Parts: sequence; C-alpha cells; structure tokens
Amino acid sequence: MKSFDADLSESSKNVTDNSQEITAEEDRFDMSLILEVPRWKRVLKAIDLPVQFVRIGLLALIIWAWESRTIFKGWSPFSWLGWDYALFPEIIPLFQGVPSEAGEFLLEIWDDSLFWSDFWVTLQEALLGFLIGSSLGFIVGLLLGSFRKAAKVLSPFLIFTNAVPKIALAPILILWYGVDIASKVALATIIVFFIVQIPVQAAVSGVDPDLDVVATSMGATQSQKFRFVVIPGILGPLFGALRLSAIYSILAVVLGEFIVSKRGLGQRLLSETNNFGMSNAIALITILAGLALLFNAIIGMMERRFLRWQDTEARGKVVSL
Amino acid sequence: MTNSVDIENVSLVFGGEGNNPVLAVDTINIAIPKGQFVAIVGPSGCGKTTVLNMLSGLIPPTAGSVKRNGKEVDGPSRDVGYMLARSALSPWRTAIRNIEMGLQIHGVDKQARRERALELISLLHLDGFENSYPSQLSQGMRQRVAIARTLAIEPDLWLMDEPFGALDAQTRIKVQGEFINLWESSGESSVIFVTHDLEEAVLLADRVIVMTARPGRIKSDTLIDLPRPRVIDELRFDDKFKEAEHRIWKELRDEII
Repeated sequence: MKSFDADLSESSKNVTDNSQEITAEEDRFDMSLILEVPRWKRVLKAIDLPVQFVRIGLLALIIWAWESRTIFKGWSPFSWLGWDYALFPEIIPLFQGVPSEAGEFLLEIWDDSLFWSDFWVTLQEALLGFLIGSSLGFIVGLLLGSFRKAAKVLSPFLIFTNAVPKIALAPILILWYGVDIASKVALATIIVFFIVQIPVQAAVSGVDPDLDVVATSMGATQSQKFRFVVIPGILGPLFGALRLSAIYSILAVVLGEFIVSKRGLGQRLLSETNNFGMSNAIALITILAGLALLFNAIIGMMERRFLRWQDTEARGKVVSL
Repeated sequence: MTNSVDIENVSLVFGGEGNNPVLAVDTINIAIPKGQFVAIVGPSGCGKTTVLNMLSGLIPPTAGSVKRNGKEVDGPSRDVGYMLARSALSPWRTAIRNIEMGLQIHGVDKQARRERALELISLLHLDGFENSYPSQLSQGMRQRVAIARTLAIEPDLWLMDEPFGALDAQTRIKVQGEFINLWESSGESSVIFVTHDLEEAVLLADRVIVMTARPGRIKSDTLIDLPRPRVIDELRFDDKFKEAEHRIWKELRDEII
C-alpha cells in the first residue's frame, strides 16, 4: 500500500540503506486513470438523465390527470383506479380549474400592463419586507448573541413578541400604515425578523471559542472580531434563515393583500377566486411560487459564493472512476 | 539587560465571584532571559495554560506581577505569538489567508502580508497547499499552518500550548524538527513551550520547569545542557539526553503517580 498523504511523501524519501523499495515502479497506481475521465462523461454524470426522465414523466402525469378530469369527463388514472373522490372529494368541475386554461391565462396577462403593475407591487412589498426584516434580524441577532447581558434583559420581550401569531397583527398594521404597500412591508418585516434573529443569535454562541481566543490574543478589536470570526462563522445558519425568509416574505404580503389592498397579486388572486376564475387563480399561484423560487435561487447563488469552503468540506474526498 | 519575561509572585484564582473559587496557580516566580527556550511540564490541570494566558494578556493575575521586556502586561500585544493546542484555524480561510490573519489584524498591507506568508509556507514545507482550506489538509499540515500564523507577526515571545499534542508519533518528530530549526534561526526570540510530553520538553528546550498538581507551583527548574543546533530525530537516542530526561522524570513522577 502506498499512501498519498503529502505529509508522508517527504519522510518516505529517507529510506535507509538496508530497507528496500517494496513497490516497483510499474505496480504504482496510475493517476492518469482519474485525470483522463472525459469532461462530457462527468457532465453527464452530474445531470443524471434517468432522474430527469422520471421527474418529467411524473410532472406530465400530474398535469394530465388534472386536465383529464374535466376534458375527458371522468376518465383519468385516478377514476380508473376508483380513487376519484378519495383525492378530490366533491369538487364541482367549475371550482377545479384546468392547467391548459391556466396556461392560456399566463399568455394573456404577459401583455397586460395592469398585471405587471400588480406584479411590481407584490414584488416591491416582498423585497422590502425581506430586506428590512432580515437586516434587522441579522443585526439584533448578532448583537444579542455577542453581548450576553443585553440578551438577558431583552429576551422576555422578544419571546413574547415572537409568540404573538403575527397574522393577528395584520388588521392593526393596516390601521397604522394604511391600505397601500407600507402595511404589507411591515407585516413581512415582523415575520422575517424573527426567522433571522433567532438562528443568528444561537449561531453566534456556536462559533468555535478557540477562534475568538486566537483573535483576542492577536489584539483584534471588537469590530475585527465580528469581521474575521463571528460573521464568517454564522453564514451557514444565516443563509438557511434567509432562504426561509424569502418564502415567508411572499406569504406575508399575499396575506396582507387578502385582508385589505388596492393592488397586488394577492388582491388579484382573491378577486379571481371570488369570480370562480379557478384556472386563473392557479396561474397566479404558480407565478407566486415562481417568485419564491427565484428569490431562493438568488440566495442559493450567494450562498455558494460565500460558503465555498463548506462546499469543499462536503464534497467527497474519495475519487471514484 | 531586561528579561523577556518576569513572573513575580504570581497567583491566580478562578471563579472569584461566589461559587467555589479555585486556586489554579500559587505564588510562582519565573524569569526568562531573551532568547531562551523554556519548556513547562506538569500534570493535567496544573495551570500551565493559565500561565500562558496571563503572559498573552488574556487574563490578569489575581496577585503578583507579570512583565514582558520589563513592562507590566496589560493586554494582548503584537510582540507575542500564542499558539493553542488545537490548531484553531478559520475553516473559511485558505491556508495562506489563515497565516495572514494576525498581519491583517495589525493592518499590514496586502502585498507585505502575502510576501511574509509565502516565506513561512516555504519554511514549513506547505508549498502547493496555499489555497487549500483546513478541511483539505492533514492534521500535521494544519498544525504547521497554525505555527506559521503564530510566527507571521514576528513575535519576540512565542507561547506554545501543547502545539504537537494532537499529532501522530511520526508527524510529530517531523514537525518538531521543523519548529526547532525555525527557532534556532530566528535570533533572539524567547519560547515558552507547554507540554505534557517530557521527552519533547527535553529535546527542544534550554530549560525545563516542572509544575506541581493543582494548585500549580514550581517544583523544579532544570537547565538542559545539550548543544545546539539540535537534530531532534537523532538526539532522542543520545545518552546525555536520556540522562537529563531521567533526572527530570523523577521530579515529575511524584506529581503524576
């Protein structure tokens, strides 16, 4: 056996006179076997075609089953199995919506400037709520995690505020901030704040205390310790919280719009369902989900950029051919 | 000439406020001239690390005075390099950026930082691993990165807290050799090297101090009269070395058994 540990390669050079090389040159592992795996083979392995095929098939099956409930009048894989009413109990076809109509609606609103202004209102509310809530949550979590005395004083207040079902605040926030975007931003801010503050505060005390000792012994100031030790140390939990926050900020503003609003996708969704426009409602819900996915993807990109070091940790160290 | 370190009648009590105060260090006196390599050995919990913490300015003594270059220690200083038992590298920094950390804290500019770090990388045989993260390095390499980080700021006092304790026997011999070469070529730096390994203490140091079990007092203070530069991997089989180790072992044995 030959070790690849770079540490030992040095010492293995110092072979004394009476010992002999056990491994002959031609018996050694040929590194070119690993290096010569062609690029397309690695790309193909990363894409994993069978998984993609099964996924697409599954999606097609779901859409087809849904569509066929109304178009083929009762003939679907579900009715065929006799599961019809087990899965969709007593839904009147009018209330059910059809994917193809939802698709048509999506094409229609693409050119509708009113739709885009609604879209912009909701996007603005969710983005502002996300940014304000997560920034405040990050700063408060960081400070309370670092200064124990302050955390001790403030924790009962924070615990109580967090215990309030935030939706219950929505009508009050509308009275305070009006029916326009401010009240929705406020609701999203409160919800997002706690999603970020709690894990950040917990993560600060989880940072390796040795790193703090090293920085202190080097004469680091408090702000240098934040920059070099604490903030890099909590990025993992922070990004986890941000992903959740992105989704919850959209949830919060849609809920706010349901209660009272003049504009926004949530408001539009409510009026569609009030008019039995089920297919249109499905289309709008898909757009909202798409927005959440987009947020999530952007945060994911930032996460990969900032947490590259974790990536190298997680990536298997064993090379397989 | 002023001493590098003067520890005068120093005692330290932990947990002063109410609950069970513990006397960790009891009235110790150590004077270390510039350029001396001192090893401190003693049983676990004898206050070895506490002595280093006081010297690095992390904790003040309860009584007595701790001086460096004739001046009272009142906090961390850039003239002191402190290496912990665990390598304590930042996992998000590459090897070279870990080495640069102390320099960055002291506001050294990027160019100078990089040059100094590269110098240490080649001295400690880390070439080719500059941009590896700690998780990609072996234990021995991580420890060498930690040594490099400690020495990057060019301290005149090196505080080493069991720096090689986590290494396997062979890697340890190799890193000990590299370390002693670095020190022997560093000029006037003083070292306080805490270890529980007596062999290591005698191999490396000019002087070995044995501390008692808690509360930590100084049990013996012995000069090691072995020539320098030392070749660690040969010296361990030398009769004079074995004799010196045996002499100190008799002192240490009473504290352990």
